[in-house]
Amino acid sequence: MFYLIGLGLGNAKDITVKGLEIVKKCDKVLLEGYTSILTVGHNVLEEFYGRPIIIADRELCESHIDKFLMEARDDDIALLVVGDPLGATTHTDMLLRAKQLGVRTEIIHNASIMNAVSCCGLQLYNFGETISIPYWTETWKPDSFYEKIIGNYTRNLHTLCLLDIKVKEPTEESLTKKVRQYMKPKFMTVSEASTQLLHIIKENQNSGLTEDTLAVGLSRVGAPDQRITVLSLKDMQTHELGPPLHSLVIPSPNLHPLELDYLAQFR
Amino acid sequence: MVNFTVDEIRGMMDKKRNIRNMSVIAHVDHGKSTLTDSLVSKAGIIAGARAGETRFTDTRKDEQDRCITIKSTAISMYFELEEKDLVFITNPDQREKSEKGFLINLIDSPGHVDFSSEVTAALRVTDGALVVVDCVSGVCVQTETVLRQAIAERIKPILFMNKMDRALLELQLEAEELYQTFQRIVENVNVIIATYNDDGGPMGEVRVDPSKGSVGFGSGLHGWAFTLKQFSEMYADKFKIDLVKLMNRLWGENFFNAKTKKWAKQKDSDNKRSFCMYVLDPIYKVFNAIMNFRKEEIDSLLTKIGVTLKHEDSDKDGKALLKVVMRSWLPAGEALLQMIAIHLPSPVVAQKYRMEMLYEGPHDDEAALGVKNCDPEAPLMMYVSKMVPTSDKGRFYAFGRVFSGKVATGQKARIMGPNYQPGKKEDLYEKTIQRTILMMGRYVEAIEDVPSGNICGLVGVDQFLVKTGTITTFKNAHNMKVMKFSVSPVVRVAVEPKNPADLPKLVEGLKRLAKSDPMVQCINEESGEHIVAGAGELHLEICLKDLEEDHACIPIKKSDPVVSYRETVGEESNQMCLSKSPNKHNRLFMRACPMPDGLPEDIDDGKVNPRDDFKTRARYLTEKYEYDLTEARKIWCFGPEGTGPNLLVDCTKGVQYLNEIKDSVVAGFQWAAKEGVMAEENLRGVRFNIYDVTLHTDAIHRGGGQIIPTTRRCLYACLLTAAPRLMEPVYLCEIQCPEVAVGGIYGVLNRRRGHVFEESQVAGTPMFVVKAYLPVNESFGFTADLRSNTGGQAFPQCVFDHWQILPGDPSEPGSKPYAVVQETRKRKGLKEGLPDLAQYLDKL
Repeated sequence: MFYLIGLGLGNAKDITVKGLEIVKKCDKVLLEGYTSILTVGHNVLEEFYGRPIIIADRELCESHIDKFLMEARDDDIALLVVGDPLGATTHTDMLLRAKQLGVRTEIIHNASIMNAVSCCGLQLYNFGETISIPYWTETWKPDSFYEKIIGNYTRNLHTLCLLDIKVKEPTEESLTKKVRQYMKPKFMTVSEASTQLLHIIKENQNSGLTEDTLAVGLSRVGAPDQRITVLSLKDMQTHELGPPLHSLVIPSPNLHPLELDYLAQFR
Repeated sequence: MVNFTVDEIRGMMDKKRNIRNMSVIAHVDHGKSTLTDSLVSKAGIIAGARAGETRFTDTRKDEQDRCITIKSTAISMYFELEEKDLVFITNPDQREKSEKGFLINLIDSPGHVDFSSEVTAALRVTDGALVVVDCVSGVCVQTETVLRQAIAERIKPILFMNKMDRALLELQLEAEELYQTFQRIVENVNVIIATYNDDGGPMGEVRVDPSKGSVGFGSGLHGWAFTLKQFSEMYADKFKIDLVKLMNRLWGENFFNAKTKKWAKQKDSDNKRSFCMYVLDPIYKVFNAIMNFRKEEIDSLLTKIGVTLKHEDSDKDGKALLKVVMRSWLPAGEALLQMIAIHLPSPVVAQKYRMEMLYEGPHDDEAALGVKNCDPEAPLMMYVSKMVPTSDKGRFYAFGRVFSGKVATGQKARIMGPNYQPGKKEDLYEKTIQRTILMMGRYVEAIEDVPSGNICGLVGVDQFLVKTGTITTFKNAHNMKVMKFSVSPVVRVAVEPKNPADLPKLVEGLKRLAKSDPMVQCINEESGEHIVAGAGELHLEICLKDLEEDHACIPIKKSDPVVSYRETVGEESNQMCLSKSPNKHNRLFMRACPMPDGLPEDIDDGKVNPRDDFKTRARYLTEKYEYDLTEARKIWCFGPEGTGPNLLVDCTKGVQYLNEIKDSVVAGFQWAAKEGVMAEENLRGVRFNIYDVTLHTDAIHRGGGQIIPTTRRCLYACLLTAAPRLMEPVYLCEIQCPEVAVGGIYGVLNRRRGHVFEESQVAGTPMFVVKAYLPVNESFGFTADLRSNTGGQAFPQCVFDHWQILPGDPSEPGSKPYAVVQETRKRKGLKEGLPDLAQYLDKL
């Protein structure tokens, strides 16, 4: 059996009871470590579960997972995913492959930023398409996500912006070489995200958003040191929201009175 | 020799209209260096302190041993035109008023094809070229190659027919025969010029014409030369005819009847060709009298031509006397220097039409205007064309030409390598020029500054440039165009130190070698192999010798030479190739197909290039190669290196966000074009079409990490399904030999897969010229083999000509290309066997 187990958002103890039971009985446990990270290190998890775990980086999950899937025909293998296991779309492909190989699968859900974002008071019903803001490079500056923000905004919907994380990404130069070199891990902050957004806004005058548009910055949602702040995009640029991970929300232009009241606490 | 102080030379540098920058170019063994020596001995500038130490060119010991020039050498000369000759200069930009002296910077470059990159570097910094042709062997393959290059760089040529002594003494040609030979060479040269130059173009008419005085005749070895101007001067007074008119009469179909004193345009029984009568006859007379030891005749002739023998020469006879007489009668230096001063352009004239060929930026910015006007007050623009080793091991002088502004010791400048792009920081250094120097043969002299139009060297720049680059003080300056070489580094050897502990020295030595030669490539393979690639066997031999003795100073082991191949395809991919990104959410659909014949060459020659306006380029491709106009407008890039002869074409329709992945796809294409699927050799002549793309909804999941490797896999799948083929480089090989040796040549060529496509007799001589195509891979040891099979009588010159498909299917064990692929893979440390399609092609 191949289990996909969500770990939730905060620390080791956020795993569900069902999930924990499975982890304990499995032959091998993998921890996916590139779509998101936990606020605690993997050694804390190992201690809590009382068993060793294998770190699965992007290359393992995308290109070499078949080996573990084959083992899962006879053994029990679990892949731990921070948040909800299907929050990051990569893992649906894994399930398809498992099916092709005739491996049975089970999913154990958990909380994800996709629902926990409601902690800032914006109603989940009013969220539109979720987008990601990637780190720009010298030559690669995609801005297609902006259209989606505008799409949501004009339909009076909030936009949840997931911010880029680079845990073990190959450097651009080494992508065209045989020997891979990796960048230092980095995590986009709300201030970096706002800077890139403002850059696009400047290029697209009269698109609806301005530097005074309100934004909600969230950090370490689900952890004890969770922080939320409401600022204009311009001020968000210079705002320091503490250690990662961060997320950003662009609220709809016309908020429900209850949403307004709730947001007011974070002003 | 002229003794000058540095200050006097510096003074001349400001008189930009009186400067001539020129190179001497020719086929190997046509006598350039000997001829140059006679110029230098007449007018070479030596700084006061160095007087007495002569011998300027061919400074290396191996050059003297082999009797060939390997590195080009620059020499400055000073020459004053006489008042009567100054009238021949009509263009006001060709002479400063009231200045009779001319500063001539001459670059003597190698004639052997293997070193033609040195010629290219020399041409870039000069405006005119003295083309030397051996009048016995005529226009040869290398003459044509360098002449073509010169015209392409907008260098104005003048012609010199060398080795007239051989024509007279060895071949005993009759006057009319000799005229015909000259006439034919002039025609051949003009045909080449006409092929590559447009008379209506900015350079105007550049053909050479004896009657204008732009063709010289003589013997470099014996030190005599003349143009029709010299002979006209002798006769003009006597005939009471204008000098210029007489020059016209002395060449071509002009016949003079001595009895009736009438000129005619046709030959009849009584008249004689004027050139033979007035020019050749006197020379023949002198030759005959001296070589047949007719004492009285000699004396009377000497009085006639106005030569008085010095006391120490009076007891000479035969050849030695002939040399002395001819040299005093028709001194080579005088005639040649006049030709140079009168017919070659000054920087002021030349830079006007050369600017658009030299400068990559807009043609109206400050730098462009500075270059165009050769303005010493404009911002500095200097092109470094090569690196010259200093006596200090491992350091180099950066040698180049100042096109605009002034370069000065202690000046702060921007040093831009060939990869610099305006507005970016890559390949850009802002440094101080440590010292500006004058380079005279192997000597250097420090100089305060050097103004536009002059050639000089820089100290302290070598560490920032690999081989060439642009030096400027203008912040928005673009690069000066990179030189285009006529030869490519198709022969390579792997090197390693005999003692493994010396590896760091080897690596350092390779870096220095790469600097010291304009073309050699030193490549560190990812497998750890060190490769040196050059134009041919001789070029590599010299490079490796330099590496061992001068640059690395350690004993070196070298592999047998191998050839670089190219990978291509024979037909269109037999299926739509799909590859999925690692996260499986991005999908690329592409096909490969071969380019039409001629297009890869058009790209090599720059006729189709990435900098063209896309609409103009698309029209050209549509008209000449029947490409679909819409598709031809959507060429994403050329590759490898952004300029190579492979194309990536966007044939998609309405794919959203395609632009966001363009850079990644291009990067993947550059990678695949550089390292093909069969043996990781460059691709050639392959067009890839992108038909469809499926993308992940979210930008974060379609970054370079996902797209670049996927593009490469997809392109590899395209190649494997399109009948992959190998191409090998082929030399054009020109062999001169007597008739008896021709049979032996055929034998050797047949054994080496060569084929002869032209065989002809050199008119007026017993020599034959055989032209053949010879695969480079079969050329190792060819020269030696040829000599031993023809009793040492055949002498080949091989120059890279084209790429040709190596017949056979590389995926079929037992075929020749299969063997090459396996050998190459093994050498590069790749998995043996054939690449597996399933690794690259995904299923829907």
